Amino acid sequence: METRYLIVGGSAAGMAAAHTIRKKDKTGIITVLSNEETLPYFRPMIPYILTGKKQVSDISLSGTGIFVQPRIDVRTGTIVTSVDPVAKILTTTSGKTWSYDKVLFATGSRPYLPETVKGLDSPGVFSLKTVADAAAMAQRSRNTDHVVLLGGGILNLKAAFALLEKKIKVTLVVYSPEVLSQLMDPEDAFLIRKALDKAGLKIMTGCSADHVVTDADGVCAVALDNGTQIPCRMVCVGKGVIPNTECVRGSAITVDKGILADPFTACSVKDTFAAGDVAVTHDPATGEKTVTALWTNAVDMGICAGLNMAGIPTRYTGTLGIMNATQVAKEPFVAMGRVHTKGRDLETHIDKTDNTYRKIVFNKEGTRLVGALFIGDITHAGMYRYVIREKKPIDRIKSHLIRHTLHYGHFM
Amino acid sequence: MPNYKEIFVKTDKCTGCLTCKIACAVEHSETKSLFSAIRESPGPVSRVYVEWLPGNVKVPVLCRHCEDAPCLNACISGAISRSDTNAVITDASKCIGCWTCVMVCPYGVIGRDQTFAKAFRCDRCPDREIPACVGACPTQALVYETVDGFSKTKRKTVSRELLTREGA
Repeated sequence: METRYLIVGGSAAGMAAAHTIRKKDKTGIITVLSNEETLPYFRPMIPYILTGKKQVSDISLSGTGIFVQPRIDVRTGTIVTSVDPVAKILTTTSGKTWSYDKVLFATGSRPYLPETVKGLDSPGVFSLKTVADAAAMAQRSRNTDHVVLLGGGILNLKAAFALLEKKIKVTLVVYSPEVLSQLMDPEDAFLIRKALDKAGLKIMTGCSADHVVTDADGVCAVALDNGTQIPCRMVCVGKGVIPNTECVRGSAITVDKGILADPFTACSVKDTFAAGDVAVTHDPATGEKTVTALWTNAVDMGICAGLNMAGIPTRYTGTLGIMNATQVAKEPFVAMGRVHTKGRDLETHIDKTDNTYRKIVFNKEGTRLVGALFIGDITHAGMYRYVIREKKPIDRIKSHLIRHTLHYGHFM
Repeated sequence: MPNYKEIFVKTDKCTGCLTCKIACAVEHSETKSLFSAIRESPGPVSRVYVEWLPGNVKVPVLCRHCEDAPCLNACISGAISRSDTNAVITDASKCIGCWTCVMVCPYGVIGRDQTFAKAFRCDRCPDREIPACVGACPTQALVYETVDGFSKTKRKTVSRELLTREGA
C-alpha cells in the first residue's frame, strides 16, 4: 500500500520536503495542508507584492527550482488544530480529520508582537509576513504618507525600502543602538547605516514604542518611551518571529520553544518530523540548540526531512543561527556564524576600507573559523560558510581567510 | 539518467594564459565579438576564474553545476533552475540580487553584476556546441565530456603513462 505523507505547512520547509519525497517515492500520497489562502509562494518575495512590482502568480513556487515534482496535493486554507501522533490522526478547524503514515510539521513562525506595546491590534498595524499582509499593507498605504516601522531587522528594512519606493515617508524605531543588531555589532553596521541614511530612511535608535495611538481610522500615531509622538497612519512590526507550535501542544510531541527535532529531523514520537522555522535544531558554529527563520535554512531542513520520511536516513548538518545575505540600499552584505564579538573572547580580524568592511572570527584558540561578516564586498562568502559549517581544519588556509585571498584551489 | 557533458579541468595542463576568461567574457557580451565587446558598458565579465597555488599551479575554477546544488536549494526568488542539459542556470529576469547563492556556493564561482544587481555564473554556453572556454583553451586543460567519457580517457592516459614509466 502507498505511504500517506501529510505535511502541515505549505511554505519553504513543507514544500521542499514534499518535492523531495516525490523524487524518492513515486507512488506515495503526498498532501500538504496550508493555513494560507494562497498557493505556496516564495515568501521572501512579498516586498515586491507590497510595491506592486510583482503579482502573486509571479512568485509562485510551483514549477521553479526544486519545486518541479508532480502529484503534490496542496490544500489551502486548512488549519490544523490538534494531532494524535499515536493514532496518527490530525484534526483541522473544520472538524475534518486526516490519517497519515508519516507527518511533517513545517508550520513556520509568526511575527512576535510585544505585549508591552499597547494597541498593536489596531487597524493599520501590520507585520510583513504573508502575501495577505503585503496586500493589506499595499491597500492601507494608499492613504498613508508616513509609516513607522518598529524594529531594525532585515524584514523591516525590506518593508522600509518597499514603502520608500512608493514615495511614502518611513521612520524606523530601533531599540538597539544600531540597525541589524541581530546580524552584527553596532560598530560593524556603519557602512549600511550610511547607505540607509542616504536612501532617505529616518532611523531613531535607542528608543521603542510605548503604545499605538488611534482614532476612528485606526492608527494615527506612535507614542515612544521617550515621550515623543510620531504621527502616522500605518505601523509595521518587525521584532522577530515565534514558532507556530499550537497544533502539537498537548500531544506527546516534545516542544521547547519550537518542536524538538533530532539530528535526523525526527520528533519525539515515531513517524513525526519537524523542519523549518518551527523546528529546534543545532548550530554547527556554537553547538547550541537553535531556532532560525530563514528561507534557505527551511528549504535545507525540509529536503533533509523529506529524505528521512522517504526512508533514506539523512543527518541534518544544522543551521548557523546567524546566516543571512542581502542587499540593502545597494550595499550587499553577508553575516554568518558568530559575528557578535564585542566583549567576547574570540580571535577577531577586522579590515575596512571606505566602502568595504570585513570581520573574520575565529575561536579563542584561533584554531577554527566560527564567523564571518562581509559588507560591500561579499566575494567568496560561500567558501567561508563552508569552512564554518564543516568545521574545516584551517592551519593551511588561515592567512588566506584573514586576507580574503581564499579560493577553491586551497581546498584541493 | 542521460549522460550529460560537463566541463572538466586538468590543472596539470593549464598554463594560466587566461584565454578561457577572454572567450567566456566575449561569449557573454552583448555583441559577442572581442573588438566591440571591450567597448560595451558595463564591460563583459568572465564566469571562469583562474587561481594560483604555490608551486606555480594554475587552477581554473567554474560552476560545477553540482548534483545537489546548494544555490538551487537556496534561491529565494525561483531564479535558479536545472536545465534540460543538466546545467544549473540563473534566470537574470527573476534574480533580485539578494546574493543568497553567493553565500552558499562552496566554490565561490557565482559572480555579481553590481550595475543591475544580478547574479551570474557559467551556463555552459547553451548556444554553442562546445562551451567558449573549452573551445578557446590552447592546451586542452578544459575538456567538455561526459563523466564516463572523461574517466575512460583518464584511465587510458594513466595506463599509458604507467607503461611508459615501466619502459614497456
